[in-house]
Amino acid sequence: MITFDRVSKRYASGHEALNELSFELAAGEMAFLTGHSGAGKSTLLKLVALLERPSRGHISVNGQNLTQVRRRGVPRVRRGIGMVFQDHRLLIDRSVFDNVALPLVIAGTAREEVGKRVRAALDKVGLLKYEASQPATLSAGEQQRVGIARAIVAKPAVLIADEPTGNLDPQLAGEVMALFGEFQQVGTTVLVASHDLPLVKRMGKRVLVLDHGKLLDDFRP
Amino acid sequence: MNRRIEKNRAKPAAPAQRDKFSQRAWREQHLYSLFSSLGRLAARPIATALTLAVLSLALALPLLFWLLLDNARGLGGQVEDARAISVFLKPDIDIAAANRFAEHLRGDAQVGSVVVKPPEEGLEEFRSRAGFADALKVLHYNPLPTLLVISPRATAATDASAKLFAQLRGNPAVDLVQYDAQWRQRLSAILELGERGAAVFAALLALAALLVIGNTVRLDIAGRAEEIAVMQLLGADDGFVRRPFLYTGLWYGMLAGVMSLMLIAIVEWFLAAPLAALTASYDHRFAVHALSLQAMSGALAASVVLGWLGALIAASRHIALGQPK
Repeated sequence: MITFDRVSKRYASGHEALNELSFELAAGEMAFLTGHSGAGKSTLLKLVALLERPSRGHISVNGQNLTQVRRRGVPRVRRGIGMVFQDHRLLIDRSVFDNVALPLVIAGTAREEVGKRVRAALDKVGLLKYEASQPATLSAGEQQRVGIARAIVAKPAVLIADEPTGNLDPQLAGEVMALFGEFQQVGTTVLVASHDLPLVKRMGKRVLVLDHGKLLDDFRP
Repeated sequence: MNRRIEKNRAKPAAPAQRDKFSQRAWREQHLYSLFSSLGRLAARPIATALTLAVLSLALALPLLFWLLLDNARGLGGQVEDARAISVFLKPDIDIAAANRFAEHLRGDAQVGSVVVKPPEEGLEEFRSRAGFADALKVLHYNPLPTLLVISPRATAATDASAKLFAQLRGNPAVDLVQYDAQWRQRLSAILELGERGAAVFAALLALAALLVIGNTVRLDIAGRAEEIAVMQLLGADDGFVRRPFLYTGLWYGMLAGVMSLMLIAIVEWFLAAPLAALTASYDHRFAVHALSLQAMSGALAASVVLGWLGALIAASRHIALGQPK
């Protein structure tokens, strides 16, 4: 589902973020991406979402070779990927419902369908009762769960998350990670970057360890 | 080869049912953008009002100028038979001599027709005009000379008329020659100049309106950078991100157009009473008209297009550059 074939990424500043990186993530598989900060975790996720382009090598996501996607094709690729961010990136001037509905509105989903799917997604993250609230009135953990609902509402085949528990206390972090595990169980391919190694190990999923842009280890605890 | 594969893969399998849904969703999105952008304008009433004031002035000024010119053109058009040459004969030339002179002129190849107006007829014409009747009562004699109204032959060129004009002026029986076409030409040259000036003026102010709208939309885009970035992360294409800003420009154009027409209506209302008095004093020999419905709808349409275009330029420049961070 996600394939990296000898991918290197060198930024304009000369910093080499990824170096000849190869790995494969099967459809419906879940993996954690870990390593110290600056190891290349964020760069890897950015390449998957076409926020950056590789300097060398090939990346394939969802059966599509990303090298061949030109600028105009980028939005369509992104619509096939659910993204969760450390700082959740919710729109603070819109309700929880409108935030979660955004990917569907962008994709041009009919209105009655939007209502059904948004409520289903909010129900899944346990926030159905907050649909009319403003994101700012929610706790950090709840905001992150709204972000997750937004990422999965359009039923993407691939879900990626960059330090989704970075701002959460251990208990909330565990809950959020468990949520990602549930999405994998319904067939979504999940790739989560996290430096919280104890938590990652508790999850019992595949772990990819990056160091200086190289794959240091690939194991299953 | 590779390109074709990408195209085939990129296209999602879209059954007819989904297409129908998408079309409706597309309409809903447009309607939503239309009203939400109006809501955004209403949310910042002072900034919006100031922008609209500048825009409506920029639109109203050339419109007013054009209206003035259009009226001036109407006045010029009321002068009948502009090519006619009026020849006032010396007072000592009697009617019989005048008729002989007219007969002589009819023989000229450049002359189409000659009408002889004896002094009595001239006096009668003056009497029929307001204000002159009383003045004429105090006169014990008819001071008017005999008048010949000569129409040059229709085929004769302007310089031929001018030659005829020179010939007539040289004739000893002639006191004064009035050649209407001359001042008529001057008037039309002045009007032509005014019209060109108005066009330049309108183009410059349209450019100013475009810049004002462009800059307003640019600020709007800068203020919503985070929202735009999130939308792009979620897979919104340029058209989706641009749409609300285009509607904002459309609203600016439409509201400014309506405001400028209201401004012109106020000016027309303000000038109506003194203008009526002026035309009455001229015995209603000319009429002043307001902006026609056609001109109003044209101005409104132009204003809407300007608003949309200004927003499109700003949005295309600033959104294409802003890839999400």
